Amino acid sequence: MSAPQTSAIGGPATQGSAPITTTIRIRLRTPARLRNLELLLLLVALATSAAALALVDLGAVGEIDAAMFALCGIPVVLVLVLHLVERVVAPEGDPFVVPIATVLTGLGVAMIHRLDIAEGHDGWAAYGVRQVVWAAIAIAIAIAGLLLVRNHRVLQRYRYIAMFLGVVLLLLPVIPVIGETGANADVWVRIGVFSFQPGEFAKILLAIFFAGYLVTARDSLSMVGRTFLGLRLPRARDLGPILVVWVLSMGVIVIQRDLGTALLYFGLFLVMLYVATGRASWILIGLALFAGGAWVAARLLPYVAARFENWLDAFNPEVYDRDGGSYQLVQGIFGLADGGLIGTGLGRGRPDLVPLAESDYIIASLGEELGLIGVFAILCLYLIFVARGFRIGVAGQDDFGRLLAVGLSFVVGLQVFIVIGGVTRIIPLTGLTTPFLAAGGSSLVANWLIVALLLRLSDSVRQQPHAVVDGGGA
Amino acid sequence: MSELTLLVLRIGFLILMWAFVFMVVYALRSDLFGHRARKLPPQAAPETFPATPLPVAVATPPAAAVTEPVRAQPHASGATPRRLVITSGPKEGMEIELPTEQLTIGRSSESGLVIRDDYTSTHHARLMLWNDEWVIQDLDSTNGTFLDGSRVTLPTPVPLGSTVTIGTTSFELRR
Repeated sequence: MSAPQTSAIGGPATQGSAPITTTIRIRLRTPARLRNLELLLLLVALATSAAALALVDLGAVGEIDAAMFALCGIPVVLVLVLHLVERVVAPEGDPFVVPIATVLTGLGVAMIHRLDIAEGHDGWAAYGVRQVVWAAIAIAIAIAGLLLVRNHRVLQRYRYIAMFLGVVLLLLPVIPVIGETGANADVWVRIGVFSFQPGEFAKILLAIFFAGYLVTARDSLSMVGRTFLGLRLPRARDLGPILVVWVLSMGVIVIQRDLGTALLYFGLFLVMLYVATGRASWILIGLALFAGGAWVAARLLPYVAARFENWLDAFNPEVYDRDGGSYQLVQGIFGLADGGLIGTGLGRGRPDLVPLAESDYIIASLGEELGLIGVFAILCLYLIFVARGFRIGVAGQDDFGRLLAVGLSFVVGLQVFIVIGGVTRIIPLTGLTTPFLAAGGSSLVANWLIVALLLRLSDSVRQQPHAVVDGGGA
Repeated sequence: MSELTLLVLRIGFLILMWAFVFMVVYALRSDLFGHRARKLPPQAAPETFPATPLPVAVATPPAAAVTEPVRAQPHASGATPRRLVITSGPKEGMEIELPTEQLTIGRSSESGLVIRDDYTSTHHARLMLWNDEWVIQDLDSTNGTFLDGSRVTLPTPVPLGSTVTIGTTSFELRR
């Protein structure tokens, strides 16, 4: 034991061939294992989605809608193509994100199809049919994204373009000609017959910008400042970036009348700032700023005040009956209560009583028909999805990739919290889409793009120099 | 379709959803509970245990004697280490190129340097490049990371030729 040790200190170059063989052995063995695991999970995910769709038809109509199943074949084939593309261009990508995204999309399609049956939508007017087509487009775009972005560091170069595009996308809905004033918030853009929600794409672009910016700026943001009560406070001039983002999100609240989007972007910036600098004082400063802004907004802006009143006093008959009152919120809660522990069964409840049941309130619809047990399963899937993103970030080799992975997965987690928290009356209700589940093309495309980026990031994490010291095998 | 069949199907569907969740959780259990320690073969164990204190005890005096002149060198010449050489342990003599920014060390197969023995934690430590200087940071490991025989608690610069010990493996950085 001691003889080779001295020779190793003296001249290790003589044994230089050992790491090469180790590396090759590892590279050949792991990729197939990860992809095979993904294929297995993907097949179970597709089976779960198919079972949901079949149960909806059996529960609501009594017979299976073959045309709907045939249409769903398109995204199923595409997701299998995505899997095959991964085997070639991202062999060491994370094996969990695609199956989880698939099962959530499938549950969403089944639920939207169920609401179509209840509301009598048919053919191209049916949200479910459009959702299936959008799912196919979203997966195709994810495949394209995976093929085009071969190295995530390229994205760092385009950080200022990403910022510019992100801000433009955020502002698009308020431009008079193409902006569309919806029921509450101005988050839609309509060009001809084609309408989309630009904010969904802005979250990816802003995550890229924040990651690129914080990599260069984090030293000055984290190293200097004075310590006060155990917290290292930043210098006054370093407060600039956080104030800019704060003003932007307050602008979104005032001009766009959208509390949820503002909270989403501000929360995203705050968490990425915290991850980049490791200083809790940023979180405190940020939360104080946002709470202050929201309090002032609740005082001055009637729509924010109404949201708060709907939230705090939802069951007051006056608030319930008012125009724009808590009717929707309370109906959603009644639906959830009707579902109870195991739900009414797919196709057996009355989720269509809630306005906007297929988009903002999809989780209340699912809660009514799958019960608390089903909702917890969905929340577990989101939890695992976000945890995988954080995991990819922790294992990342470059700062930009680490921040981007954390940012992209956190924005999904925060969006789930804002929507589901709003529906379940934990926070005031704001109109955001539930990632993967809710009806809406922009949301599906944006979230599947996040899937593609996480795959790319996790693949480059595992493509690092890799050596194994095996204690047992020696 | 009867109510009873639908009831069975709907409970079956909830079970299917949770089965999927648990399949995912089972597949990533090493993330949640750490990698399983590989038991050393019984005949190898007595050989390895006396070896544990050896690298610290034997390698430190020469390293300490060499360190002073070497430590001054990287700052003078501006050269950063490029290689990591394993000086004792099961794979002694093995050598890997240091990556551009950081190298993670642990039992997890995602680590840059995977060390699988009874003493290594899943995410044990990492080497980071700070201002052209490699710094070792212990990631709250159970059995600790040692730099020239003393336990690393804060991120500590690793001079050329100093021995870092993790479990039964010791390595040093070289140009």
